[in-house]
Amino acid sequence: MESLEYRECLIELIYQLADDDFLLAYRGSEWLGLAPHIEEDVAFASISQDLMGHAALYYGLLEDLGEGKVDKLTHDRSPEQFRNAILVELPNGTGTYLEDPSYDWAFTVVRNYFYTLSKKIRLDSIKKASYEPLQQIVQKISIEMSYHMMHWEVWFNQLINSTPEARRRMEEAVKTVIEELGGVFSYGRFGDRMVRLSLIESEEVLKQRWITYLNKEVAKEPLTMKQGNGRNGVHTIHLANALDTLSEVYKSVPTAEW
Amino acid sequence: MVSEKGSLFYEVYEVFSKKTDTSALQHQFSLLAPNQELAFIMAKENFFRREQVADIWVVKREHIKRMSQEEKEALNHLEKNYRETKGYGYLKKKWRQYEQEQLTEKDIMGGGEG
Amino acid sequence: MEISTNERMDHFMNRINDGEKIEADDWMPDDYREALIRLISMHGISEIMGALPEKEWVPKAPTVYRKLAIMAKVQDEMGHGQLLLRVAEDLMEPLGKNRDDIMKDLFSGKLKFHNVFHMKAPTWGDAGVIAWLVDGAAIISQTMMLGTSYGPYGRALKRICAEEVFHAQHGESIIMSLAEGTKEQRALLQDSINRWWSSLLMFFGPRTNAETGHSNQDKNMRYKLRTKTNEQLRQEFLTKYVPRVWALGLTIPDPTLRFDAESSEWKYQQPDWEEFKKIVTGHGPKSKERLALRVQSYEMNSWVREALGTCRISKVTR
Ligand SMILES: [Fe+2]
Ligand SMILES: [Fe+2]
Repeated sequence: MESLEYRECLIELIYQLADDDFLLAYRGSEWLGLAPHIEEDVAFASISQDLMGHAALYYGLLEDLGEGKVDKLTHDRSPEQFRNAILVELPNGTGTYLEDPSYDWAFTVVRNYFYTLSKKIRLDSIKKASYEPLQQIVQKISIEMSYHMMHWEVWFNQLINSTPEARRRMEEAVKTVIEELGGVFSYGRFGDRMVRLSLIESEEVLKQRWITYLNKEVAKEPLTMKQGNGRNGVHTIHLANALDTLSEVYKSVPTAEW
Repeated sequence: MVSEKGSLFYEVYEVFSKKTDTSALQHQFSLLAPNQELAFIMAKENFFRREQVADIWVVKREHIKRMSQEEKEALNHLEKNYRETKGYGYLKKKWRQYEQEQLTEKDIMGGGEG
Repeated sequence: MEISTNERMDHFMNRINDGEKIEADDWMPDDYREALIRLISMHGISEIMGALPEKEWVPKAPTVYRKLAIMAKVQDEMGHGQLLLRVAEDLMEPLGKNRDDIMKDLFSGKLKFHNVFHMKAPTWGDAGVIAWLVDGAAIISQTMMLGTSYGPYGRALKRICAEEVFHAQHGESIIMSLAEGTKEQRALLQDSINRWWSSLLMFFGPRTNAETGHSNQDKNMRYKLRTKTNEQLRQEFLTKYVPRVWALGLTIPDPTLRFDAESSEWKYQQPDWEEFKKIVTGHGPKSKERLALRVQSYEMNSWVREALGTCRISKVTR
């Protein structure tokens, strides 16, 4: 490894990639059994598994870099230590997955579509130049990206072009997602150094690619991070709640193997 | 008889696949989807999330002519030995009379290949 | 030429007795169709309802590996529901019904689901016991029906059984970790076994009609939809799992449970069949909540069906 600075920035970037996928996989898993129809339930569950699997690969790399065991990284960090964008920690709707879940399929489609596109752009950038073990993982993950893209793109295009009610719901969801999408493109306080050290291209370049891929019609509002920058450890209460759920059993018997 | 339904629902698509590039197309199962595009996306993870697959086809069921039981039973026919190899079994003995072995199916089909 | 119903029926029974498979478009007597619809829609909707108790444990699973595995398992159960409901839907089509009607029958209580999925699953131990023993029980009844006279059901079961092997091993793996774990983990597991025991006995249904007043065993056997009785299946289950539970140093909450060498049969305390009747008619500890969850999912997504659905009119031609 080149320098302490390089190592620090690299670890930071991997946490961002890992925590994004981990939290969105969790949000996806809450939909199990509740999707709009059974066939979609099965398809969506595959994507959530893929995301969790991608997160596990990144956490494995962090483990190799001396950050601690994968299960500790996923089940025993405080919310401020998480580096995910706020967009992926937001709940699927009101209620919880156990009680009175009133979930919004439009929000889920838009969040996943916009996120998947930004993830693909990020991964493509890392593939060009970065830390080699990370590049190898990204190569692997990319294999599964085309299904994710196709899946969410079809849902997005079909719903936004159907009934007036569906269009209204989708447009509302687009607004909500765009408000936090800036956080996905941010690299947080280490951003400049990450770019300088060629771990990834700049936020602006990636953002521009994202806007170019979607037509101007969809991405007409500026991408912001209304509730703060998750990359710097700023989060909503929803992350703390999610982490409580995710680690409930893990923490119930501290010395146990599961 | 046509009955009006209050709520909207999806339609049946049949799913076919090839395991490898060289294998024959095989029927897998059916699913419900609103249209062909979504049917295809559902098909992949509903039926091929574990097994290897090289190609997937989805076809709207109403576009397939299926057979009734009567039609299926009409597929049966009387034996027609004259167009089967079993109608020519006696040749084996014949060739022996000429101190020759009858060419087997493999010999006949074998062509130039060793 | 008019074929009489009797002739058709004879021909049909001959096909069944010759081991031929009946297909969706073949002629079949009404009560065969009815028996299939009852059996398969109940089986299918039980898979869907069965996803709910396990789903509770998906995010909470204690390691990333377990999180992935249980997610895959719940996904499979939804997939089983998909396969089975498709088979049931094709049988219902001539009656002008579709999946929407199945869901509405579930919501109204007309369509029942398996007793085990009305029960609480309050700990991670339950996630293990469900996958090991509930799926273990399901495997026994599903493999028995693999040879069913109805072709599409057999094909769905074949796909399902292939996945059940993973489910069983996923369950074994969880309970093995708990059994070999700390005092607390062993206690968790023992608790779950105690909690699930009577539900597991009930899973196969009553021995005779006397216990609940009705049973479709006889007709289903005549039509070769099944080949073994409820009691035979339960005995198989006990033979397979009781020695394994004991071998792990766990107990079963039935002091009378023993294998009787003379009759070569397990003797056990009958579960409360009155309770069984209550549970399956929607009065179990979790019946209302789980149904409410299904209704909610159906309603919150109705706009998606309205947006993309295409078949407003269903043609009934037969
Ligand atoms: Fe199942
Ligand atoms: Fe199962």
